[in-house]
Amino acid sequence: MRKRFSVLLPAAGLLLIAAGAAGFDQFQSGSYGSTKTPSLRQTVPPQLSRDGNFSVAPFPSLAPELAEGEGRAETQSFCSDCHSTRYITMQPPLPAATWDAEVNKMIKTFGAEIPDATAKKIASYLQQYYTPENRKP
Amino acid sequence: MEPWRGDLSRRDALKLLGGAGGLAIGEWSPAGAIFAQQPQVSKESEPFTGPGSNPHWNSVGPYVSEPQKAPLILLTDRPVQLETPRSYFQSAFTPNDAFYVRWHLSQIPNRVDLAEWKLKIEGHVNKPQTLSLPDLMEKFKPVSLTAVNQCSGNSRSRFQPRVAGGQWGNGAMGNAMWTGVGLRELLDAAGIKQGSVQVQFQGLETGSGPTGSGSNVFLKSLELSDSALDEAVVAYLMNGEPLPMLNGFPVRLVVPGYFATYWMKCLTWIRVLSAPDENFWMKTGYRVPDTPRGNTTPEEMKAGGVKTVPISRMPVRSFLISPDGSYKIPAGMPVTLRGIAFSGYGKIVKVEISEDGAKTWRAAQLGEDHGAYSFRTWEAQWAPKAPGSYTVAVRATDEKGRVQPDEPVWNPGGYLWNRIEKQEIVVGKASGGESR
Repeated sequence: MRKRFSVLLPAAGLLLIAAGAAGFDQFQSGSYGSTKTPSLRQTVPPQLSRDGNFSVAPFPSLAPELAEGEGRAETQSFCSDCHSTRYITMQPPLPAATWDAEVNKMIKTFGAEIPDATAKKIASYLQQYYTPENRKP
Repeated sequence: MEPWRGDLSRRDALKLLGGAGGLAIGEWSPAGAIFAQQPQVSKESEPFTGPGSNPHWNSVGPYVSEPQKAPLILLTDRPVQLETPRSYFQSAFTPNDAFYVRWHLSQIPNRVDLAEWKLKIEGHVNKPQTLSLPDLMEKFKPVSLTAVNQCSGNSRSRFQPRVAGGQWGNGAMGNAMWTGVGLRELLDAAGIKQGSVQVQFQGLETGSGPTGSGSNVFLKSLELSDSALDEAVVAYLMNGEPLPMLNGFPVRLVVPGYFATYWMKCLTWIRVLSAPDENFWMKTGYRVPDTPRGNTTPEEMKAGGVKTVPISRMPVRSFLISPDGSYKIPAGMPVTLRGIAFSGYGKIVKVEISEDGAKTWRAAQLGEDHGAYSFRTWEAQWAPKAPGSYTVAVRATDEKGRVQPDEPVWNPGGYLWNRIEKQEIVVGKASGGESR
């Protein structure tokens, strides 16, 4: 077995730091500064019954923050009847005419019950915050 | 040299001390060598892309943990739409817990009671059937096949101009071995009546829209004369395991070669029709221009009169999976390019790669053949000599002679994307010399 000289480590470390300052640039290490990387918690396995019911936990609800502005409340309330407002924030910036068409499609094709005035307000909200001209990250 | 270890042998320690003492480091680190760069800053994805094309391989949503799933990329939470991250495509089979998810309507099952659940075969038939899961598993001969399930809108975020809809990157696809009962066998058991034209599929998914509307019920139909039905399977196993709830437990329809819109999840009603299905999801949704590649333009659409047909088979596609461009490759290092290819029209017979942005091509090696409708893995050796930025491209050819084109496609639904994929890969200097 080889002898260990761990007592020399601090001295060697100091010398290396000195060497680094003198232009030792083969590598760089020990950078742990990032606190921004988000983490995702693990889940534990559920309790399972022996009966014929096969079930899973509720699916997570992750409604996004919509842009602050006139018409936001109506948009949240009416659009959320059928789907998450992530359908809005997921879209690329869409031209004003496309937002008109989308609101129309929800009413005429999919039967969303939205009063005319409210539909106008929702379309104009989407056009105010979700087009190529005005969409913000 | 390695970074600090916990303890060193006397010889190592002395060597280090001697070396550092004399600052004899020129041999490792010639003047001008570049390692002392600032550390990289890791940036979070933007919450959306556009109005240009999404430049990333996947879509840009956050990771999310859903029941029975590994962390996947969130498109929407209600109904659930999740995309599979690129690295899962390194193997031919996509793990169930990483398999992408796409539902249309918000009321999707959290619970199925198998004591009650039955598959119904009804409509224009002589002997309507009501089959429990054990009936399906025991009364019929199990068949297995491997097939790619790909969303019609996979890669929609590539479209220019962008179109509304699920903004998928490339990860709305997966490959699995499916085991179940041949659809024709079930139809034969029910006895199709003379004069039947289509067969309709319905699962347990519903929405809060008005009865009969597209926002209330999701229904898809296929022509009874379609040869795809001969290969279709009502599957109760996915990669040898029960289907995850989000992928259609207890059974889903598998239509090899066809886009996933027909692969009804939580399949519960098989309905033989004596007249063509006119419901929203056939008559309006999931239709493509009746043109080569389903291509049209916004101008033609505005002018009107573009004839459309229901979407059907998947055009040939291929992908580079690794390296993924997120790290540099040292010049001269012989790395392995890896990826997958598939086609809804049959077996992949050739995959080619290009290192110069689709100008010149050479053949890649094909991996194991798991069947005509499966992912086919491929790999190719690549030892880039000089530092620089390389555009690696990949294209596949199927047995029908269909080759991926380098032109984009555009249609209002954002369907049928199969342009040649390209990946920028940066090669860095591997030594201090001039040559590399």
